[in-house]
Amino acid sequence: MSFSLSEEGLAELDRLLSRYPDRAAAVLPALHLVQSEHGHVPDEAIAWVAERVGLSPAHVEGVATFYTLFERRPRGRHHLQICRNLSCSLMGAEALVAHVSAKLGIRPGETTPDGMFTLSVVECLGSCGTAPVMQVGDAYHENLTVEAVDALIDRLRAEG
Amino acid sequence: MPNLTINGVAVSVPEGTTILSAAKQVGIHIPHYCYHTHLSVAGNCRMCQVEVEKFPKLQTACSTVATEGMVVRTDTEAVRKAVRGALEFLLIHHPIDCPICDQAGECGLQDYYMTVGLHKSRYPLGDKIHKKKVQDAGSGIVLDAERCILCSRCVRFLEEVTGTRELQFFRRGDHSEISFFPGRPIDNHYAGNLADICPVGALTSRDFRFRCRVWFLKSAESICTGCARGCNIEAHFHEGVLYRYKPRVNDAVNRAWMCDFGRMEYRKANEARLLAPFVRENGVEKEMPWGALMPQVAQRLSDAVRTHGADTVAVIASPQLSNEELFLVRHFASDLLGTMNLAFTRRAPEDGFSDDFLIHPDKNPNSAGARLLGIPGEEAFHAVAGRISRGEIRALVIFGNVLGAFSEKGTLELLSKAPFIVQVGTNEGVVSRAAHAVLPSASFVERGGTFVNCDGRLQRFRAGFAPRGKARNTIEILVDLGNRLGAGWSFSGEESVFRALSRSEAPFRGMTYGSIGSLGREVKR
Amino acid sequence: METVLTTHFADERYRGIDGYRGKGGYGALRKCVSMPREAIVEEVKKANLRGRGGAGFPAGVKWGFLPKDLSRPRVLVVNADEGEPGTFKDRLILSHGPHLLLEGIAIACYALSIHRAYIYIRGEYAREARILEEAMEEARAAGFLGKDVLGTGFDLEVTLHRGAGAYICGEETSTINSLEGKRGWPRLKPPFPAVVGAFGLPTLVNNVETLCNVPWILENGGERFAALGCEKNGGTRLVGVSGPVVRPGIYELPANANLKNVIFDVAGGLRDGKALKAVIPGGSSTPVLRADEIDVTFDIETMAKAGTMAGTCGVIVIPEGTCMVRALSVLMNFYAHESCGQCTPCREGTGWLKLVVGRIEAGQGRPGDVELVLDVCDNMAGKTICALADAAVMPAQSFIGKFRGEFDRHIAEGKCPFGNRF
Ligand SMILES: Cc1cc2nc3c(=O)[nH]c(=O)nc-3n(C[C@H](O)[C@H](O)[C@H](O)COP(=O)(O)O)c2cc1C
Ligand code: SF4
Ligand code: SF4
Ligand code: FES
Ligand code: FES
Repeated sequence: MSFSLSEEGLAELDRLLSRYPDRAAAVLPALHLVQSEHGHVPDEAIAWVAERVGLSPAHVEGVATFYTLFERRPRGRHHLQICRNLSCSLMGAEALVAHVSAKLGIRPGETTPDGMFTLSVVECLGSCGTAPVMQVGDAYHENLTVEAVDALIDRLRAEG
Repeated sequence: MPNLTINGVAVSVPEGTTILSAAKQVGIHIPHYCYHTHLSVAGNCRMCQVEVEKFPKLQTACSTVATEGMVVRTDTEAVRKAVRGALEFLLIHHPIDCPICDQAGECGLQDYYMTVGLHKSRYPLGDKIHKKKVQDAGSGIVLDAERCILCSRCVRFLEEVTGTRELQFFRRGDHSEISFFPGRPIDNHYAGNLADICPVGALTSRDFRFRCRVWFLKSAESICTGCARGCNIEAHFHEGVLYRYKPRVNDAVNRAWMCDFGRMEYRKANEARLLAPFVRENGVEKEMPWGALMPQVAQRLSDAVRTHGADTVAVIASPQLSNEELFLVRHFASDLLGTMNLAFTRRAPEDGFSDDFLIHPDKNPNSAGARLLGIPGEEAFHAVAGRISRGEIRALVIFGNVLGAFSEKGTLELLSKAPFIVQVGTNEGVVSRAAHAVLPSASFVERGGTFVNCDGRLQRFRAGFAPRGKARNTIEILVDLGNRLGAGWSFSGEESVFRALSRSEAPFRGMTYGSIGSLGREVKR
Repeated sequence: METVLTTHFADERYRGIDGYRGKGGYGALRKCVSMPREAIVEEVKKANLRGRGGAGFPAGVKWGFLPKDLSRPRVLVVNADEGEPGTFKDRLILSHGPHLLLEGIAIACYALSIHRAYIYIRGEYAREARILEEAMEEARAAGFLGKDVLGTGFDLEVTLHRGAGAYICGEETSTINSLEGKRGWPRLKPPFPAVVGAFGLPTLVNNVETLCNVPWILENGGERFAALGCEKNGGTRLVGVSGPVVRPGIYELPANANLKNVIFDVAGGLRDGKALKAVIPGGSSTPVLRADEIDVTFDIETMAKAGTMAGTCGVIVIPEGTCMVRALSVLMNFYAHESCGQCTPCREGTGWLKLVVGRIEAGQGRPGDVELVLDVCDNMAGKTICALADAAVMPAQSFIGKFRGEFDRHIAEGKCPFGNRF
């Protein structure tokens, strides 16, 4: 099989497998590991994980596609995820989406041609008291304004 | 034994029975899609909702266990609305392509659409979610995800019965779609069951697709002849053509399933059939009417016995024959011909593929029956074959189409040593190419009888239609031939033979067709 | 006012084990290990603690559902999947008081002889997951978790399990399926988790906030805790206020705080001189209240009388000028997006509601659409495996019930009177 994790990834997976009474329970952690190393979950990884946890690729694909955080296709380097649920919308999330959309020249769901940014609108991020909110990678950016989001995007672009 | 009432009808059921099965006992049908008697309860289609007194909400009959004093109603307005609502939900993204759907006539959606009654669609056509249409899903199964109602029966089957899990739902919500992982289609020997359990036209059998509209089909209770398991089946036919097998529920044998090899056995009733008696003279086949042929065959056999002794005639039986037929074959050989050269040989030289579920290595339905009736198997057959090959056999009667112990070449070589061969068989094959007289017999849907399966279970199969062409029932052939040799048999039909058999054969003593029923019973051992 | 949970949250060091212990942390656990186990459960019952995950089930009673016989190991699943729109209280706890949760877990497990706990945390909370991992490491090193807790011979393994983006995984049986590596489909009940839960074992599922109250209860007594709240609900609630108020955020208040006070006093009222139009009191699934209906307390009866629920105490403040059809449309998108797709009425119904409410908002509604929405709601409500369908139906019914005029105007005028904006 062509896919594998790094040495550390494999060690981590072994550690994970020992934590559950049933190997199948390691599917989510394994997919998280794959995604953290590869940026998304490639097809070969589905079959690879299936083998590791002793399930069928269809089962693992069913799991991987159930959860929105697993990316089955490559995304931009920075994934801008703007919450558009009610509290954020009441605090201007729609305008923020429109602004970022115009600035990057892409609609939600799309990736900039240079592969730098993917823009998504997402559901409540559990940060409603500091709305509007955008998650980029693991980090939350709260109480966002148009200026703040501009600065952030410029910084991310400069970082490459 | 909780007592409850359903629509006012009192019923008493064993502990743990669901409302749905309790209702069935009193003839009340509760609509259902996801529920299947032989799979875990999923409770997801919500078609089986019923009103239960003291419960604030409707309950799903498939998952709610009947309890003492329960008052259930399936006929209230609330129930009707909920069921109509569920059906409407199921149809909003459905392509409604019934005219080109092979499931038409046995589709759960069509069935309930009629009975539940739906008004015209309130969902705009343009907003329907589209999914993958006809795909080859592997193992002879065709998948149309757009027709799927997401009942999860197939997923549960592949998890709970085969353990192979090739199908799963991908994505979620109303984008959920039944699928297999690319490059990893369905790959197991029980896939045909998927087409049976899918309540709609999402999973269909490639073999059966579009061959016959199902409303034409008639059905006969039968037993699969594919192996010694003896899976209980229904044979579906129309105008003398057998179209398919479907498993019939028997918890003591095959539960609700059958394997794909067995499922394809039906073809033998249609393909390469021997349909008219013929003789082979100097290598040339010549059709001959039964009336002319039977006296000749009887004559040749009695001549051989008279001239060369009973030792020079042999009878090769087949574990494809029923107990009734084998019983007559045994009498025919030992009493009428008076020979000890009687044995049966199997379809294949060695045991075939098997698994730990249904597929048995012995590819014959009645090896156990043959043994119980005192017909010896392989070892005796080899002894008989030895005599044939040494030219000691002057007249040979073969029941069946092949001599499993030999290759084609080997069979022809062996049979070339016997000056007179009579075959009683259903299909063209190596034996019919060598035989001097071919007596075409009825296939397994054209005759009835009993088999004993690998676990010693006596099971009955029934004729669906009359023998095709000029073929005749094996029992009829045997009685005809036997009487020409002085048997004085007055049997007519398999049941009369069984009555005689059950009087004289210890393992079957006291049994009747009535007591075998449609699910069979164990023979005495 | 006395607080139970957030007392030290302002102190950065409280997040670390030394800071936590400096405030008396793990004292309750120490006390518990010398108490009879039943006495701990008794204290929680006395505390009148109700589940903080939304359903409000009495915690002590739920603890009592675990089978008495200990022959099968049992499991604790900590629900940190917080996903109900308008709710962000557990995140506050996880990032400011991770040891509070761990101590609560340790006490619950000790009391109920549970040796295996899983914290199911929503996948987006990556930072909080790291904080928890660190805290778990510290607690293990200090002997509060792991083998031989505090030298008592009691072993407790706690595992952090990250979700991956699915609101439904907060529903406790979906949480369990997800933990087992499956699609997050809720299970049919019965059997209930207390009988057949994670990995087929008897399982207790509690919300983060619920468990975080436990150390205080054991330290200060159940009765004192009960006295902080109201008759049917002891202690405090973490009330989250979001929307255009002066001071949005989480406030720890008595369980019977007044909604109007919360908005106008605690959170400082609306911003920029805006007027109040409506309030969703307990997370997006709870029926909306009009501005004139909010003089109610969070206790169960009062909320029920007002036709709504305290839910997660996630208060969403909706100002005048907001298009209620658009607001509902946002929520309908959410539920359609989050339906697991398992049962027919929810899978198809949430999608249909999204479609019809969306077209009304877009000015493409047709006469009869409002009735259609209500009829679809009726075909969903109470007819599904889990409560997600009801969670979608309640806002739909209440928005229409209370702001029907706006829906009708959208249809009659063929456009959004608010200009398709918030
Ligand atoms: C659709 C749905 C989503 C839920 N989400 C959560 C959640 O994110 N967090 C939570 O603690 N409980 C959630 N619940 C409630 C849980 O099912 C369960 O009642 C709770 O975790 C029990 O803990 P408690 O008794 O301590 O409140 C949800 C319920 C439903 C029906
Ligand atoms: S393919 Fe058929 S059996 Fe499988 S889920 Fe769909 S409708 Fe049910
Ligand atoms: S109600 Fe919705 S979320 Fe709950 S099980 Fe059914 S489809 Fe899934
Ligand atoms: S609504 Fe945006 S974080 Fe909750
Ligand atoms: S048959 Fe009961 S829910 Fe499907």
